[in-house]
Amino acid sequence: MAEVALINATKRFGDVAAIGDVSLTVADGEFVVLLGPTGAGKTTTLRVIAGLETLDEGAVRIGGREVSKEAPALRDVAFVFQQYSLYPHLSVYDNMAFPLRSPTRRVPEDEIRRSITEIARMLHIDHKLQNKATRLSGGEMQRVAIGRALVRHPSIYLMDEPLSSLDAKLRQELRLELKRIQRDLGATMLYVTHDQVEAMTMASRIGVLKQGKLVQLGTPREIYEDPAETYVATRLGQPRINLMPRRLFPSLPTPSSAETIGVRTEHLKIDRHHQGAARVARIEHLGDQRYLHLSLEDHSIVTLAGHDTDLDVGDSVALQLERPLFFDRDGMRVRP
Amino acid sequence: MNEHSGTISIADKAAATPRPVAVRVRGLSDKGIAWLFVGPTIVLLLAINIFPLIWTIYLSFTNYAANRSGEVKNVGTRNYERILNDADIWAAMQATAHFVIWTIAIETVLGFALAYLIDKKFRGHGFWTTLLLLPMMLSPAVVGNFWKFLYEPQIGLFNYAISYLTGIDRTSFQMLGEVSLAPWAIVIVDVWMWTPYVMLICLAGLRSIPDYIYEAAEVDRASPWRQFVSITLPMSMPFIMLAVLFRGIENFKMFDLINLLTSGGPGSTTEVASITLKRAAFESWRTGYSSAFAIILFVAVFGLANIYVKALNKVKQR
Ligand SMILES: Nc1ncnc2c1ncn2[C@@H]1O[C@H](COP(=O)(O)OP(=O)(O)OP(=O)(O)O)[C@@H](O)[C@H]1O
Ligand SMILES: [Mg+2]
Repeated sequence: MAEVALINATKRFGDVAAIGDVSLTVADGEFVVLLGPTGAGKTTTLRVIAGLETLDEGAVRIGGREVSKEAPALRDVAFVFQQYSLYPHLSVYDNMAFPLRSPTRRVPEDEIRRSITEIARMLHIDHKLQNKATRLSGGEMQRVAIGRALVRHPSIYLMDEPLSSLDAKLRQELRLELKRIQRDLGATMLYVTHDQVEAMTMASRIGVLKQGKLVQLGTPREIYEDPAETYVATRLGQPRINLMPRRLFPSLPTPSSAETIGVRTEHLKIDRHHQGAARVARIEHLGDQRYLHLSLEDHSIVTLAGHDTDLDVGDSVALQLERPLFFDRDGMRVRP
Repeated sequence: MNEHSGTISIADKAAATPRPVAVRVRGLSDKGIAWLFVGPTIVLLLAINIFPLIWTIYLSFTNYAANRSGEVKNVGTRNYERILNDADIWAAMQATAHFVIWTIAIETVLGFALAYLIDKKFRGHGFWTTLLLLPMMLSPAVVGNFWKFLYEPQIGLFNYAISYLTGIDRTSFQMLGEVSLAPWAIVIVDVWMWTPYVMLICLAGLRSIPDYIYEAAEVDRASPWRQFVSITLPMSMPFIMLAVLFRGIENFKMFDLINLLTSGGPGSTTEVASITLKRAAFESWRTGYSSAFAIILFVAVFGLANIYVKALNKVKQR
């Protein structure tokens, strides 16, 4: 395992910069998650580190060594591809053994078998080891791809949405397993996901990408509680953070340049005993909790309500904001 | 069948607009319309494929000769017995085997190698691809005639090139006139003409392998050789086998090119099965006998192709 660093990395495809001037250091043994909408440059970042794309500007360092010009084979990275990339004519076992059978590694066959058996059991694919890679479901293929990476002990694991095609139960289980393995091995990991639970629970730090730029890098807590802009604030939180124009809360003391007020659902308290400007528009029951959709003038606001709430559609309520966040006209954070 | 529902909706539409069409169409059931469309093709197929085949099978059990009138006698399996004991026939089968095996071997290796190079997308690969494909687009008659000139000992470019490269006197050998060279002369022409075809199919195979599989292999530290052996070759194998199948069937019944180049000569060294067949049928006029031979060839090709297709399916499912 090693420290991996991108230094002022830029990669262009034609005119568009898939990533622009990204600097990111993943410390030895650290688990960094990349967040961002589709097309933000997450995959490109991983590919640049793996050496599957060459940088236009900047550098890649693995373990302190400059590797920008080196072939992927020399960089000692393991990659879980978004589109699985299994070897279709090989069995699951042979797929997982493929990297270990490289002549440069010379791993004895019985050791290969031992580690494959162990990892296959963990990923629940031990009964599929003799299957052809093409005769698997999407979720099984994805787990084989993860297994093919985990049998190795590379400088860094690069994982591109590795749990995206699994069902909720399996995803939760593997999330814990992956995190455990990463911690046990002290593995360096750069991990792309759209799933905020994965991001929040697995990451040591989260990096948020916006059109190829790294706009914020910090612990999950920092990203959640202290976002640098509305773009970051809307990445995490389910339901999404409420963004409202300042004029809706004339009595709230705000910094002068603030245009938008952001309040997470759990920080939006309802005062039932006062008549207020907000009206209950809709109540959504999600089993363990319920979402309260309110309308305030022409804005809709979502908040959480307990089970005991006796609110009904049409009721008027007052709102109380805790720990509001302020953003200026461009969506940048302003601090009081 | 889907076509049926399509027809119905057309009929429905027709009902809404001009009447006469609707009335005419309405007179037929869905099945009737289906047969109306398929019928002509089936009749044509029966007339030019199935009927001649059955007729040939019938003739192969008679002593019929197309240039003589007179009584046609049923001779049982005598034609077949004679063929299987005829040394000339076996010589022809040997000549065919030599031609088929060598053309396939060389065309496959060369074709795949060329496809592999072109797939690497070097500068100007489009131009070279087009150039390489030219021979395949010529008519066999043209190819046969101009290779005859190329093989001319006095004026031919081929002999000139060989003598230039090796120092052998260019009039000292005749590609088409010598027993030891003629079988190779026809192999060379077929390779020249049909390697591009094999290349094209192999290229389709190579292009069907997604890039990301090579990327995974590269990250997994597979050397270029290991990538070739464990990815490129197995994944393009179904395509290679398909090319071999097409070329095999085609060359098993090769006639035009060889007939133009050597007409089976010198002696009968390049007399492949189809030329023997033509001679028996239209020079000796032993129609019954040649029908039997045609049936034997047909069964042989059909059987081999079937076995081969089974193997191909196995490879594809691997
Ligand atoms: N090979 C390529 N050629 C041209 N443009 C590319 C190429 N690869 C990526 N891009 C562009 O670079 C940008 C970033 O792509 P990237 O694949 O990194 O996105 P991503 O964040 O992984 O998205 P997703 O969540 O959909 O996987 C996109 O605008 C994409 O169109
Ligand atoms: Mg991606």
